[in-house]
This record gives sequence, C-alpha cells and structure tokens, in this order.
Amino acid sequence: MPKQEKTNKIDCKLVMQELKENPYKQLNIAFSLMVIVPFLVFFYLLINKLFTLDVLIGNTGFILAIAFFISLCGYFIVYSILKNIFNAILTYAAQAKHSDQLKSTFVATVSHELKNPLSSIKINIYNIFAGLIGQVSQEQKNILGLCQSTIERMTRLVNGLLDLHKIEAGVIDVKRNRLNLAEISGRQIKEFQTLAGKKHIKIIKEFLDESLSVWGDEDKLSQAIVNLLSNGIKFTPENGTVTLRIYPDDKFVKLECIDTGFGIPDDKIGLLFNKFERLNATKEGTGLGLAITKDIVEMHRGKIFVESQVGKGSKFIIVLPRDLRSIRR
Amino acid sequence: MPDNIAKKILIVEDEKELMFGLATLLKSQGYLIIAANDSLFGISLAHKEKPDLIILDLGLPAGGGFYVLENLKNSVGTFDIPILVLTAQQGLDLEEKAKQMGAVAYFHKPFEPELLLSQIKEILNKSN
Repeated sequence: MPKQEKTNKIDCKLVMQELKENPYKQLNIAFSLMVIVPFLVFFYLLINKLFTLDVLIGNTGFILAIAFFISLCGYFIVYSILKNIFNAILTYAAQAKHSDQLKSTFVATVSHELKNPLSSIKINIYNIFAGLIGQVSQEQKNILGLCQSTIERMTRLVNGLLDLHKIEAGVIDVKRNRLNLAEISGRQIKEFQTLAGKKHIKIIKEFLDESLSVWGDEDKLSQAIVNLLSNGIKFTPENGTVTLRIYPDDKFVKLECIDTGFGIPDDKIGLLFNKFERLNATKEGTGLGLAITKDIVEMHRGKIFVESQVGKGSKFIIVLPRDLRSIRR
Repeated sequence: MPDNIAKKILIVEDEKELMFGLATLLKSQGYLIIAANDSLFGISLAHKEKPDLIILDLGLPAGGGFYVLENLKNSVGTFDIPILVLTAQQGLDLEEKAKQMGAVAYFHKPFEPELLLSQIKEILNKSN
C-alpha cells in the first residue's frame, strides 16, 4: 500500500502564541518553589541536626509549614502551566482543523463554480465550430478558434491555481512510493516529442544511472518534470536542444533540464519561482508552472536551482533525497 | 447510417448549458438522448428507460452522483448499465471511489469532446 502523508504539521510558534505567557519562565519559578525552597529547609534542619518530631513544634514547625505552602504553590503553578499548554494545543488543533475544512471547501467551490461553466462554454463552442448547430463560415471559425484558445488558457489557469492552493494550503495528500526517476522522465520525454518536433527541437536523454530511485509521489514528480520540459521547449528557438540529465550525487539524485533557449537575465532569476511571474510575456503561459514545480520539489524535501546565461540557455536543477529517512527528517 | 442509431444514452447533469451541449454533441453521432437534472429523476429514468450508457455528474442535487451510482449498481435492473462519470469535483480519491463503485470511465471537466466521444464508442462496443 502506498504511504500517504498530510503535509500539515503542528507549528510550535503558533502554539506558543496561544500561551500568552512564556511557559519556560513560569516553569523556572515553579521549579524554584517546588524544589529549592524545600531543599533549603531540609538543609537548615540537617545542619541543626533536627531529626525528631519536635521540629514540627515551635519556630521550626512554622518554617516547615511555610516551606510546605511554598512548595504547594510551585505544584499549583506547574499544574496551571500544563493545563495552559494542553488548552493551547487543543485550541490550535481545532483551529487547524477548521482552517483545513475552509481550504478544502474553497477548492471544492472554485472547482465546481469555475469548471462547470468552462465545460459548458467549451462543448457548446466545439459544437458550433464542428457545424453541429448550423453552417459556419471560415471567418466565424477563426473567431471560435480564438475562443477555444482562451478557454484552454482559462482551464490551465484554474487547474494551476487549484494545484498551487492545495499544495500551499497543505490539503493535498502526498503518496510515498519508491520511484524510478529515469522511467518517469522517459515517459514524459515521449509525450513531448511531437511538440518538440514541431519546432525542430531535439530532446536529449542523458540518464547516467537508469536505476536511480527516489521516494515520492509519481503524479506530482511527473508534473514537475512536465513543467520543466514544457518551459524548455517553449523558450528554446527552432533547431535547439533540451537535455534531461539524471545522475546520482552522494545521498541525492540530480535531475537537470538544460535548454539552448533565450536565457534569463540575472536580475530576473530571483523572480522565476514567483506566482504569476511571466518573464517573457510574448510566450503563452499562466506564470504558475515554476511556482508549482518549486512547491512539488520542496514537498519532497528537495531543492530547485537555476543557472542561466542570456542568449545561451538555462539549466534547471532539481535535487531530491534518495532515502526515505532524509525525507521524513 | 451510423451503427449506433439505436443506442440510448442517459445524461444526469444539473448544468443545463452543459446538458444542452452534451445532448447536441451526442445526437450528432446518432445516439438517442434522455436527460435528468437531479439524482432521483436520474435513478427513476434509468430504471424506466434502461439506457445503454449513463453519463453521470457527481455534484448533483437530491443525493449526489455517488448516491445514483450506488443505487443503480445495487439494483437488479440497472447494475449492468455502464456508467461514465463526468465531474468538476476535485479529490484524489474520487476517481478511485467511483471506479470501485462500478463506474467504467471518469472524466474531469472541462473535458475534450473528441475524447469523450471515443470513450463512449468504446464502452458501447464493449457492452455489445
């Protein structure tokens, strides 16, 4: 059975915020009252050699009673601290649960409210375009074609936004399976051959170790590879190359997507993984692909880097841990 | 003349614009279309009309798509009717759940009309 993990984790800082006062300071005071004061009393009795029941009478009895009372105060403070901590954790958990429910509701509502009208528009335009409603002139077909492209762009945007929201909101389940990265990448390369062929771009496969595996979610890692390949082809001029390289690096696997495209200026590289950031507005896109890719890689405890030179091309490097233990860390 | 002239398809969908589009598309291929806009009406039509295929939305009023699926797959008269699920709902387990409950195909909205048509053709050929 594939193992699934929720990406949600308890945030200690948020729990601490719930506890208005710092529990560590309170604990120090409680510890002093509980332990140090009775110890000093015991030490006083010891040096005065007072070990009979007589100590309960007179001044020493009074001192012991005060020490006992102070010690009780210490225990009471500890009880209060523990009670507050439990309350804070329970409040946090309840809020987190409520917040998760709101996020899930948002995704479900957006899915339903946007995808249904998109489907209606798409199928009806398809029917008109196909001449099922009546004869359509070439000019009308051209306009309908524009509408179809817009619908496709809207669909990609809605899907991208939903993916990103689910990842960032932590309401996404991540399956953990041992995956052969070369196999997954090979499949995605095949999918892109036609698109690359149209621009006479050659996709080069450089898998230095075909048996390399990582622990992860196949669908999500495939999506990350698709995003890199798609960007590589989109931003590489005709007759260029896109190379997908996979190789081991100590406890990690590195996947590089190298293109001979336009390259990215140094001052724009930092913006690459921002949402809706489209560095080249002349190319079609939602500006969400790389943001999603980064989230997917980080979900797998990996890192993504980019090296680029204007006019020569770009290299996107994904580094993923090979071992499940390092993923859980 | 198309060989699917006698095939009857029930569409259970509450979005009337989508229903209209689907009906137009399928009628153009020679299918006979019947339609329901909520779960209970869908179940009732399936029992009464015994269609060759049901296209079922999941987000339906009066019970929901899973209720329809469960009901039809547990009824003697309708358990063998192939059901194709068409949904805008997102969820990792929805597709798995629908297929476990007996759906033969699962499409996410917005879908590609050509893909839907070829899938319908394949399902109906198999059920022959």
